[in-house]
Order: sequence, then C-alpha cells, then structure tokens
Amino acid sequence: MLRFLEPIINGVLLGGLYAVIGIGLSMIFGIIRQVNLAHGELMILASYFSLLTLQLLGLHPLLTFLFVLPAMFIFGYLIQALLFNRVMGKGMEPFLMISFGLSIILQNALLLIFTPDARSLKNTLVIQSLNVYDLFHVPLIYIVNFAVSILVIGLLHQFMKRTYLGWAISASAEDLSAAKLMGINPKRVYALAMGIAAVTAAISGVLVGMTFTFYPHSGTQYLIIAFGVVIIGGLGSLPGTFLGGLILGISQLAGGHIIGPGFQLLSGYIILLVVLTIRPQGILGRG
Amino acid sequence: MSAKRIRFISILLALAVLSTIPLWDSPYVMTVWLLIFVYAALASMWNLLAGYSGMISLGQQVFIGLGGYTLAVLSVYYGLPIFLSVLLGGMISVIFAVLISLPIFRMKGVYFAIGTWIIAEALGICFSNWGYVRYGMGMFIQPAYKLSMSSVYYAAMIICIGSIALVYVLLRSKLGLALMAIRDDDIASETMGVNIFRCKFTCFLVGAFVTGIAAGILYLNTIFIQPFEAFGIGWSVKLLFIVIIGGIGTVEGPIVGAVIFVLLQQYLSEYVGYNLIILGIITIMVLFFAPKGIIGTIQNRFRVGLLSVRRQ
Repeated sequence: MLRFLEPIINGVLLGGLYAVIGIGLSMIFGIIRQVNLAHGELMILASYFSLLTLQLLGLHPLLTFLFVLPAMFIFGYLIQALLFNRVMGKGMEPFLMISFGLSIILQNALLLIFTPDARSLKNTLVIQSLNVYDLFHVPLIYIVNFAVSILVIGLLHQFMKRTYLGWAISASAEDLSAAKLMGINPKRVYALAMGIAAVTAAISGVLVGMTFTFYPHSGTQYLIIAFGVVIIGGLGSLPGTFLGGLILGISQLAGGHIIGPGFQLLSGYIILLVVLTIRPQGILGRG
Repeated sequence: MSAKRIRFISILLALAVLSTIPLWDSPYVMTVWLLIFVYAALASMWNLLAGYSGMISLGQQVFIGLGGYTLAVLSVYYGLPIFLSVLLGGMISVIFAVLISLPIFRMKGVYFAIGTWIIAEALGICFSNWGYVRYGMGMFIQPAYKLSMSSVYYAAMIICIGSIALVYVLLRSKLGLALMAIRDDDIASETMGVNIFRCKFTCFLVGAFVTGIAAGILYLNTIFIQPFEAFGIGWSVKLLFIVIIGGIGTVEGPIVGAVIFVLLQQYLSEYVGYNLIILGIITIMVLFFAPKGIIGTIQNRFRVGLLSVRRQ
C-alpha cells in the first residue's frame, strides 16, 4: 500500500504546478470566452527569458521573476492590444487561428535564437529531496512549485475579489454591455487580463524550467497539460483549475507508476478524454 | 458561349495539361504537383469539416497517421499490394472515426478542437511505445521504392480530383443544403427536421476516409513514417494555413491554398527556420486583411466562382 504513497503525494505536488500552467488559459476563457493556443509558447518564452537573465546576471532562477514577470505582462498586454482585440466579437475561429499563428511564430523564433538544444534553469532544489520517515521521497523543487502555485492562485483570487481592476474584469466577463455602460473600456480590460494571464504563464514557465528541461517545442506539450487541467476542472473556474491540476498530476504519476513511465502522459490524456466525454464542461464548470 | 461552358472547358483543359506532366516535365516539377494534389485533398477534407460543418478539428493527423501506418504495416509485414494497402488505410481511418465518434460528438466548438487534438497526441504516444511498429524509430515503407514516380503522381491526381468532386457533389446534395442550414442556425434547422448528428457524422467519416487514403499516397512519396511526425499537430497547422489562405468555406479555396503553400514551402526551404515564421505571419495578415481568404475575397468582389456550389 505504501508503495502508492509516493506517486500520489508527488502527483498532488505536481498537480499544483499544473494548476498554475492552466490558470492563465482558464482565466482568458472565463473573461474573453476565447482559447489562447499560444499559452504554452508564452510559458516557454518566459523560460528562455529567465535563462537569459540568469546567464547575464547570475541570479537564482526564482529571482529572475523580477525581470521576467513585468516583461511578460507587457508582452501579454501588447499581443491582446495589437492582435487579438482586432478580432474580438467575430466568433471563435479567428482568435483560435491568430493564437495558433502566434504560437508557430514564437516557437520557431525561439528555435532560431536558442537552437533546439535542451535547456534548464540550473538550481540546487532539483537534486535535494525530502525524506519522510523513509516512507517516501519528495523532491524539494516539487514542494516549492506547490507553494508558489497556492500563492499564485490565492493572490489571483484576492485580486479578482478586492481590486477595482478585478471587478472590472469580472464585470466585462459577466455582462459586456452593462460593463460598457458603467464606463469600462472592454478592450483595455481584455489587454490587462491577457497581461495577467501572461504573468501566470511566465511563473509556470520559470517553475517548469527549474523542474524539467525545456526545448523551443515544449510549449505544445504544456499547452496540452493546460488544456487537461482546465477541461477536467472546468474552463473559467479558479477552484476547478486547482482540482483539475491535482487530478491530472495524480493520474499521470499513478498511471506511470502502474503501467510504465512511457505511459505517464497517456494516462493523463485518457482521464482527460473520459472527462470530456462524460462532462464536457468540466467537473466544476458551469453548464 | 455560356459561362457554364467556359467553366467546363477550362477545367477540362487544366486536367489535360496536368495529366501529361509526367511525360514532359522534370521529376522535380512532378513532385511539386504531387504535393499540391495531396495537400489539396487533405485541405478539402478539413474544409468540409471546418468550413461547412462547423467542426474545427485539430486532429486530422489521427487519420494521416493511421493511413500512413496501415500502408506501412500491410505492405511491409504482409506484402499486400501497395495501392490496396493505401485503400485499406482509408478503411481503418473510417473504423477508427466511428469508434471515436461517440465521445467526440459530445464535444462542441473548442472542446471538439481540443478533444480531436488530444486523441492524436494519445495515438502518437501509443505508436511510439508499440514494438510492432518499431517504437519511435519509425518504419521504412520499402515496397514503395518499386513504384514508378508517375504512378504515385497519378494516384495523387486521382485522390485530389476525387476529393474535390466528392465535396462538390456532397454540397450540391441534400446534405449540403442541410449543412448550410445548420451553419446559419442550428436550432431552427433542427426544428425543420434536419438531423444534425447524421450530417456531421457523414462529413466526419468522409473526411476520415479520404484523409487516410491521401496520407497513404503522401507516404508513398515520403517512404518513411515516424509516430510523432505522423500524429503531430504540424499537419493541422498546415491544413489550417492552406484553408485560411485559400478561403474557408469555398470549394476552390483549398486548391489555391495548396498551390500557394507548396510553392512557398519550396521557395522558403532555403531559409531553414524562417519558413514557418513567415507562414505564421502570412496567416495572421490574411485573417486581418482578407478574413475570407483569396477565393472568398474574389467571390465577394466579382461574384464569380469556378466551382461555386451556389444554384443558378
């Protein structure tokens, strides 16, 4: 029985990281009602940006947040203001395709600049692990990831509840015309929301870079994880995103433990397809 | 001479020129046309789903991979005649499409797009862990070496003409009318007695069948198949690009898009690394400035169409 404790605990911790990966995607869906297919590339862009600052300044990867997060906020704001805002209100397809085009551009630009080599944000947290009564081992980085993810989700929740901008964002999501009548400029609100989503993507990108290796093509893989998280939990629901992360994390590690490491991703996909079939709006999603 | 007659003669003339290409032009030009044919067929099927049935699939590579692998397994392991293997690739694709249709048709809009993509990724993982198809190393389709270049060329030409004719006939039929009604207002059309599920299901199966066969022909030219390439999202990117550039929801769009895509690919192949960036930028620019694509914009402005499904 205890053999299963380690994959489950690690699955929960990994699930926290997955929740942060998915939260930006979920937020944009909740607010703009659109799916940003470039979300994974935003993450990996942040990973490479963190790598650059780390090499130039010799900082700890966690400290590169100071530079990466503002830069990614501006990047997110600009792509919404310059690209996505032009196709708002024209249905799902143009947004889907523009974000797809953007992801191809970013992916290949990263490939050109950084070559296809595997990179990682070097830190000592990866090699240390916590040994609990000799029952199971937990890599320290997983605990850091989980702590950061709880912090991010908590902060985002408070931000949406307590700040004026948070209210404006929720108002535009709930009733666009009423929000406009109240003097809210939806395009500006959307741009700010995309900026915030890019910041959450950047946080997860740096964490992923610290935990695993990454390539210019890694964005696709994490986009699918983000999809998994938000679909299991329900698009647009914050607590659902967290739950979705946990379910995906546990099912991946438990599946990998039972069937074999090659099937780790597959077991996650199967859970995802099952949820999509039985309850397409997600476990905590609104109908 | 009536417009109908001019249209008929110009199509016939184009076909005559294209069918003699293997006789007088270089193997390089032949390969370029072969790719155009196959991509036009694949894109027509994606267009049938996305442009006419409202099903944006990001998982057509499911059928591309299945078509390619069926060809590889049947011709290499069992020594089946090569074009029979290609045909069976289409059949396997249809069978798989039926199997996944139950869960996949419960998903709508963006969920459908994601669901199809996840199925493709899952298949990629299955095939790369499957010893029978040589894991991630991929398979060489050696029997294809025995084929002459021109026979593959004619196969590609047939699948291209066949798929476009099929789309044209489908859209002119009762099914096409029903699809247009669904696209304009799905609730109203359902109350008028249109069976939405059956219409979409038919398109999905037709798309799977033709995509599986076209993929087989493409792999006769590529010779090598590898799971993460065959089931990769890159295929959907290409099909999306072709259909958007050419004009989504038009019969001619995928043909024009395929010509532009293949030619661009040939010219840009010198600039390794930049080619996909340029494709991405072109896609975004077209969406901004000509959201209906080349054919859609021309049709709107001049009200003409070579293969318009509109009834006169």
